[in-house]
Parts: sequence; C-alpha cells; structure tokens
Amino acid sequence: MNTIEIGVKINGDSKRWTIAPGDLLLDVLRREGYYGVKRGCESGECGACTVLLDGKAINSCVMFAAQADGCELLTIEGLAQGDTLDPIQEAFLERGAVQCGYCTPGMILSAKAFLAHQPNPTEDEVRDALAGNLCRCTGYLKPVEAVLAAAEACRRSARER
Amino acid sequence: MFDHIQAFHRPRNIQEALRLIQDGGGGGRFLAGGTDLAVQADRSVRFLVDLSKLGLNYIRPSGSGWAIGATTTMAELEKSPAIRALANGILAKAAASCGTVQNRNMATLGGNLVNASPAADTATPLLALDAVVTFTDAQGQRTTALAGFFSGPHRTAAGGALLVEVEVPEPPAGARAGWSFRKLGRTQSDISLVNAAAGLGVGPDNCVQWVRIALGAVAPTPMRAANAEKLLAGRKLEPGVIDEAAAEVAREVRPISDIRASADYRRQMSGVLVKRALQECARQAECAL
Repeated sequence: MNTIEIGVKINGDSKRWTIAPGDLLLDVLRREGYYGVKRGCESGECGACTVLLDGKAINSCVMFAAQADGCELLTIEGLAQGDTLDPIQEAFLERGAVQCGYCTPGMILSAKAFLAHQPNPTEDEVRDALAGNLCRCTGYLKPVEAVLAAAEACRRSARER
Repeated sequence: MFDHIQAFHRPRNIQEALRLIQDGGGGGRFLAGGTDLAVQADRSVRFLVDLSKLGLNYIRPSGSGWAIGATTTMAELEKSPAIRALANGILAKAAASCGTVQNRNMATLGGNLVNASPAADTATPLLALDAVVTFTDAQGQRTTALAGFFSGPHRTAAGGALLVEVEVPEPPAGARAGWSFRKLGRTQSDISLVNAAAGLGVGPDNCVQWVRIALGAVAPTPMRAANAEKLLAGRKLEPGVIDEAAAEVAREVRPISDIRASADYRRQMSGVLVKRALQECARQAECAL
C-alpha cells in the first residue's frame, strides 16, 4: 500500500500524518484519536462528521484526507480554551440542547462557523445554518435556541470588553 | 473503502494536471470538491488529481458577461454579489439549494456539471442563461454550449478533457425582463424532484420578445423546453398563454419513476413549476396578468 504524508494544523497543533492516498478525512481523524468527529451516514447527508476546514464547516466523510494537506482543522476537541467552554458549548448545556449527543459536535461546529460571520442571526438563519446536521432524537428546538442564546452571550461580552 | 486509490496528486498548473491524467495509464480522475466522488466510490479509480491549486477559483467579468472558474464552490456562488445580481440571482439560488452548508462549502460548479446528474441544480439556470463551457486537453482548448454538453445520465461530451471555465453571457438587453428559479424537493437542500428556470423579455405591447425555459430531473439530461419556448415566442403574455406553455412543458418532459417520485408526478410538477416561474418572470417584467 502506497502512503503519503500530509501536514495539518489541528486544534492549534501542527501535525504530520502518514496516510493512504484514498483515506477519507473522517477515518484519519478518528484513527488519530479525534473521537468527537462522529461516523454517521458516510454519504455527506447527516453532518455528524462535521469539522471546520479553514473556518468552514465540511463533512469529513466525503472528503479525502489528502485534500486537507496544508489546511487548518478544528474539531470539537479544540473548541474549549482549557477548562473554559466555548459560549456555544455553554449555551447547549444551559438549554439542555443535547439528547443522545451524537449530532452535538457537528451542530456546535456548524454554529461556530456560522456565528463567526453572522453574530446577530435570526431564528430562520440559524435553522438554515444547522440544516446540514440531522438529529434523530428530533430535538431541533433547543439547539436553535442555544445558538441564538450563544450569539446573544457573545454580543454581550463583546459590549462589556 | 478506497484502498484501490494508489496515488493522490496536487498539481500546480493545468498542463501538469492533464499530463498526470494522460501519463497515468488509465484510472485517473480529476477531483474538485470530492462530495460526489467520495460517495460514488468507483473502484475503477486508481489515482486522483486534485484541482484545488490550479487557480480555477474565480468569478470575474468576461466581455459583457461573467466567467466562473470550474472549482468555484457553491458557497462562493451563492454569496457572490455579482452572481446574486445576475438574472435575478437564479444561479446563486440554485447553488444555495445544492445540498447542505457542509456540501456547498466543498462542492464546485465544475463538479456539479461534470458529474452530469439529470437533477444537477446549477445546470438548469445555466441552460436558461445560454452558458458556454470551456475544456482543455493535450489538443488545446475548446468551447461549447452547455446545451450540447450533457449526453445522458452521468455522461458528458468532456471525454478526458478538463472543464476549466463556465461563461455566462449577459442576459438579453431590454428593461422589461424577468428571471426565476424554482425547485421542488423534500427539503430545501435535498436533491431536486423537479427544478425549473425561466427567463423572458416583453415588448411595450406585452408580447414575448424572448423566452428561455429549462428543467432538471425530468429527462435523461437537464433540458430546454424548446416546444414551450416556441409556443410563447411573440405571444401576448396572458394567464391563458402561460397555462398553455405549462401544459406544453408537461408534454415535452421525459421523466422516469424512481425512489423519490413517479414519472406522472414529475410531469405534472414540471408544468406547475414552469407556470410559477413564468408568473414570477412576468411580475418582474411588470406585466400585469
């Protein structure tokens, strides 16, 4: 089996990984211990495997790992600053927006990418931004509320700074 | 799942990309966003040639229209002020309906066209806009109308050539014109059951000066509704005339039944979507119906 080496910056750390040319990004991330990246539909529909690639939400199950060479990745493991959770994570906890939790990393990362460009969203915009993250516990209401609350919390702390 | 893929190349220019495919001994595949390729898992693929570093990611003025690089993503199209302003934004709307946010951040315009799904959302507005596509291979560049590009489900006239650019000419001049894109799917981001794009211009007497109607997911390839266009040409735009055109569309589509919808339903919805699209065009053209 041929192998190639790729370099990525993941959650702030520079890494070099030896991969097979046909490896999918999802498989490599889980092999490297990033278990917050979930394996769901494996066809780019459910969003459980969502990670941020150069700040944009992508499905790691429909992307070859070699495509990420030279890119910056963010997984759910990299979102908290030490013991301080990201405001979106805080809001998901406070609002009870987690049921089984399988879709949660993807939802939070989609929200992270979205709020970076739209700090003051409407509910409809939040629903659009989360449309690529399916929850089979069928709990969309609280995640939507949590993202709106996180946006509000971020705006408040920006005003206080 | 992809152990048959033995090499991954990321060339820095188009010549190198073409050479890699040509000299690779078969089984090479151009890779744009990968959202189709990674799902199809075609076992005949032996190596991938990643197009992301070829400089084909752009939207720029070209003559009186716009040139769009083949690896421009759906997300870039839907956000581009130029594409949102072009023909009432029908291409931007189609791009925005092409899968979920995550898919649209990776999926490219060139990939959507070359994959040649009969339901490809961007193909329909581009057909209505008379887009032309440019390919390059060892023999050089050639440009062809998008209308002649699709030869069947997942089949194109590209051969081994690389799609490099899609050019959208300036829509016909004249103040009283309208454009519309309509999609029917289970959700906004789901694959189209039927999609339709229309554009028309009217004269001072409300007579149709030009009209373009395109549909997707209702024939082996994205198609223009030539009979309905002929029926409308020169006619005074009235509700009855729009109904006639919609009925003609329902006659000339060639849908199939599959897991998502029956051929009968698709046929009926083709007429409904085109009727609504033409009504929207008429409103923009300030044509009271």
